Amino acid sequence: MGQSRRDFLKKAGLGIAGLTILPRSVFGKMGEPGSTRVAPSDQLTRGIIGVGGIGMSGLHFASDEKCRLVAVCDVDANHLNRALEAGQTRFGTKLQAYTDWRDLVHDANVDIVHIATPSHWHGIMAVEAARAGKDIFCEKPMTRTIGEGKKVVDAVNKYGRIFRLDTWFRFKDTFYGLGTTVEPLKKLVDSGLLGWPLTVRISGATGFAWKFYWTGKENLVPEPVPQELDYDMWLGPAPEKPYNPHRVHQTFRGYWDYESGGLGDMGQHYIDPVQYILGKDDDFPVKVEVDAPQQHPDAVGIWRSITYTYADGCRIILEGEGFESEGKVPYLEGPLGKVYKGFECTIPNVMDVINSLPDPAPRHTDFLECVKDRQHFALDEKIGYHSATVVNMGACALRLNRTLHFDPAKQRFIGDDAANLLIDQPMRAPWASMI
Amino acid sequence: MKRTLTFIVIAAAFLQSTFTFAQDSRNRTVETIVADVLAQMPAQDKAAFNSNMADLAMSAPKSILVLASKMHAPVEGIGNNLVEYAIAGVTAYVSDPANSQYKAAVLEGLKIAAVQVGDFYNAQFMNEQARLLGAVPAPQELPLPGKEDVKAAKKMLASGNSGQMCAAAQTIVAASTPAKALKFLKKAFSNEDRPFRNAVLGFVTEKAGVDEVAKVLTKIFPKLSSEARTDAVNWFGDKGLSSAMDQVLTSVGAGGELGSAAVSAAGKIGGSMALNSLVGLLAKGNQDAYTALRSFKGDIAPTVMSALEADKGNTNLISLAAARGIKAAAPYAAALFKSPEKDKRLCGISALQAIGEVADAPAFISLIDKGSEVKEAANGLVALLRRLSPDEQYSTVKALQKGMANPERLYPVIAATNAAAAVEDLKNAWDGGDASALAALATMDNGKVAPLLLKALKGSQKGNESLLERFISLSGRYAEDSDDAFEALAQALQLAQTPKLKNKALKALEDVPTLKSFLLAGKYLDVPECAYTAAEVVKDIASFTKDELDYNTLKNTLTKAQDIFRSTGDADDGYAVDEISQIILKHEPGTVSELTPEEVAEGFEMLFDGTSLDKWQGNMEGYVPMNGTIYVSANYGSTGNLYTKKKYKDFIYRFEFCFLREGVNNGVGIRTPMDVDAAYDGMCEVQILDHDAPMYDGLREYQVHGSVYGIIPAKRIKHKPLGEWSTEEIIVRGTHVKVTVNGEVIVDGDVRKACKGHNVAPDGSSQNKYTVDHRNHPGLFNKEGYISFCGHGEGLKIRNVRIKEL
Repeated sequence: MGQSRRDFLKKAGLGIAGLTILPRSVFGKMGEPGSTRVAPSDQLTRGIIGVGGIGMSGLHFASDEKCRLVAVCDVDANHLNRALEAGQTRFGTKLQAYTDWRDLVHDANVDIVHIATPSHWHGIMAVEAARAGKDIFCEKPMTRTIGEGKKVVDAVNKYGRIFRLDTWFRFKDTFYGLGTTVEPLKKLVDSGLLGWPLTVRISGATGFAWKFYWTGKENLVPEPVPQELDYDMWLGPAPEKPYNPHRVHQTFRGYWDYESGGLGDMGQHYIDPVQYILGKDDDFPVKVEVDAPQQHPDAVGIWRSITYTYADGCRIILEGEGFESEGKVPYLEGPLGKVYKGFECTIPNVMDVINSLPDPAPRHTDFLECVKDRQHFALDEKIGYHSATVVNMGACALRLNRTLHFDPAKQRFIGDDAANLLIDQPMRAPWASMI
Repeated sequence: MKRTLTFIVIAAAFLQSTFTFAQDSRNRTVETIVADVLAQMPAQDKAAFNSNMADLAMSAPKSILVLASKMHAPVEGIGNNLVEYAIAGVTAYVSDPANSQYKAAVLEGLKIAAVQVGDFYNAQFMNEQARLLGAVPAPQELPLPGKEDVKAAKKMLASGNSGQMCAAAQTIVAASTPAKALKFLKKAFSNEDRPFRNAVLGFVTEKAGVDEVAKVLTKIFPKLSSEARTDAVNWFGDKGLSSAMDQVLTSVGAGGELGSAAVSAAGKIGGSMALNSLVGLLAKGNQDAYTALRSFKGDIAPTVMSALEADKGNTNLISLAAARGIKAAAPYAAALFKSPEKDKRLCGISALQAIGEVADAPAFISLIDKGSEVKEAANGLVALLRRLSPDEQYSTVKALQKGMANPERLYPVIAATNAAAAVEDLKNAWDGGDASALAALATMDNGKVAPLLLKALKGSQKGNESLLERFISLSGRYAEDSDDAFEALAQALQLAQTPKLKNKALKALEDVPTLKSFLLAGKYLDVPECAYTAAEVVKDIASFTKDELDYNTLKNTLTKAQDIFRSTGDADDGYAVDEISQIILKHEPGTVSELTPEEVAEGFEMLFDGTSLDKWQGNMEGYVPMNGTIYVSANYGSTGNLYTKKKYKDFIYRFEFCFLREGVNNGVGIRTPMDVDAAYDGMCEVQILDHDAPMYDGLREYQVHGSVYGIIPAKRIKHKPLGEWSTEEIIVRGTHVKVTVNGEVIVDGDVRKACKGHNVAPDGSSQNKYTVDHRNHPGLFNKEGYISFCGHGEGLKIRNVRIKEL
């Protein structure tokens, strides 16, 4: 590496003591000389957009030698102040504060942009961050529409960035009701011992909760916007709708404009590992069927089941809260064997069998290492787009209340114009032009 | 509502020339169709959705305009949810290719409505629906890069900004031939910007294919910088290129980033050459080689075993053999047990437990007896024995224990067998004064242990936190019946000294959802450090219990819990508050209705006293007895109604009704046959309608509550608030109908006179100028028939239904 950031800062005439943040206009357009910055060196830096729930969690509001937290941004002054105080008390750092995320994205001191906003912002922010030459750490769900996900993939590729989607069950931690990591499951499936095709049931009956308390409320009565909140910026690309506290902060995901309820909240956590287990990271389902009460056009409601089918006959069945199958049902079912909650398996001594199988191919699971050596993270933009699309296909079918057929090659619905129109959501100016 | 009325007039005038409205099969006006659909929003299943939306679609565009006229601006605080369900629903319905014949009419309605509706947000809603029907053309795909783009991109390459260099590269590669792209790749690999290099590698691979790129990279490999070689090697590994094995293997010794990448790539590429090299590296302690070999495809056992032959005590090789389930390596693992080095002994233990047989158990025993790595060896032994049944495990362990100098060191292993005999065995040891037997008992996942733990807890002076915690979790799961579980948890609550333990015991009560648990948990609502948990527990018990709870106790307890949730004020707590309101409402006691002495004297008969629907037939799923009422959750449809079992001629019919939601729509069918529309084919339908709901703005006078539908308009009353009961009496004598609500007479007329004797049009047409709704009512002069409740959706309660035949 030719230059470290510190060299760059010196050359640019900025002492460490005077980390002046250059205004966005200096970096704004492609090809302008002012936009020059160097790639990260040994120590990386990070800025968080959105310091509400997840952005302030102990998991993410962190700073250490490997990666220093340098900037935060929020449209709620209370959130922002809380984060600044925490920066001071926890890391002894005066964090750079922003209220316009574009300033954080174009901050020359930030290597990694951590997107922790509600998901209607993820697509635009990720694309702009890629354009600004940043690497991206994005909370799940990746995007709230299929179209935005595709654009994130294109932008990350185009600008040669490293992207990580923040769900992790495909490579670590106990996978909910299975009681183990997904690795033994992957080995078992790859070995062919369960047969093919497989059916996966993601349900309370197999140890997965769909969190139906993330439903929206109809007939929201407009209320005055609190002084601390820049509501217009909170909405951003989403349609202008009158403020009500239930739309924002913890409860936002109950509204189709921003996310898709419990499906959006938990869908990628639950489905992304399934795509990995089934070896579908390059594939999509060809059909999605829903059984649900009619959905309100604004407030996300409940559903009884959502069933995805792949071209080879594999299926993923989601069972809504309160509509779980009765009795003992398998999580994973193939013609030759079944796996139940808690990794109970119809194959005798299954753990011995699994132990004798080779591990799945090793993956890059250290994001900071990936940023340094430019390797794809184990859950990169492409994989994230694929599993987010499975979730978003379900949302489209729910909203239209019908079975949809999907063309994995074109990533369009087949013979259904309205469903294809749901692939993109209209965006308000000026955001539409940014993605 | 002057605004909405003008709107309808304008819209109707506009439409008259453009559209003719298809006749509804049930002779309903569009206003009625809309009202019927609204009363059933949101549809609970696909059949209901399709039939409702078909009704709206067939009557579009007018149905859209009628719906739109019912919308209020959000600031009015009235709420448009039902209309929004209906409009979004019909939009979705006609956007289905199967229903495309109605799409144009709905779109037309949406476009007019968007202009007419006035309010910004409602107009935005209409436009979004119109968008889904193709009102706005879809954006075009961007064209491929042209010459100018490539020129600009080449300039941008010099910018030094890696993101922009990548973007430029994409344009350049997209516009070039595969051969040129490969040349570009060569150049890029001498560039020091790493993101750029890797991005170009991706673009060119797409353009020229893996094989061609591999040829270029292997050729230029020796000239590349160490970092660029690392990138190339990573790519070779990802693509599994055996043709690049030379480059990969020569890099293995490089150490650092490149060496690490090479080892990993070798593992991914596979083959015997890679295998030998990796096993050699592993023997020397290379951790990357270990990872690579764990996932190495194919049979690695012969290679690993021959390496072990040459280097018998190599812990790296033995660990790998264990991880890959190579059982032949078990003797080498067992040999490590005797090593003077602790690390080697530990390696032996973890390996042998994975690949050993039960016959290897004595090796573990001797380590334990010697006091060397007791815990690890015990865990290893447990893992080794797990392939046996609990009883077999127990007898094996007991047999092994016999020869031991320190038999008590096997207590944890005995406990881990979880066999019934193990409980007895350890209990005896504990009785004999061995405290370590109690510690082992506490780890058992067996219900029989709980009483033993309780005894221990009671016997000790100071509360033992971990024992109590174990006791609580065992009691919740393993009690014989709910009484035992309750008793155990009640004791645990008494023994608990810390808030953490009290809350744990309280929470465990949730698994015992009985009256007793409810009352006990209720007491803790007043204990500040337990109040929140207690609130959660009483809420959950109340919603799951099968026990009869006294209504007042239930209400008082839950109201207290509700206050606790309210004061906490998180988003989830808001849901808990709502949930509790619903639970209280659900348990509201019903009364068994009785005839008054006067009614008995006059000869009235009870048709529904709050307990059973014995005297009724028809839709027994949509109409169910609940808390002393008939609760209506009916979906519309001619078979969806509830009928008396008997037919009636002249009668006095009395009942009470209560609306649970806005806009309830039902009716009393009079002298009607089954499975027809009582309003037309029966004598008549006396409306039950929450006409005060905003969605019924613009209702016709013959549609208000109490009206003899389409024949005699009723005097419009103001309904009581939702949830309050009203009384109603309908007297039918010959052709005379009298309706009294809450003591006020609202209809008193003769149906024959009301239509001047023409229940059907004299000229045989479907338009009948003699009836107020201009429809034919062929059943109007029926002499007898059933009495029915004609459901148009849920949210109605009925009770105390009586009749006297005249």
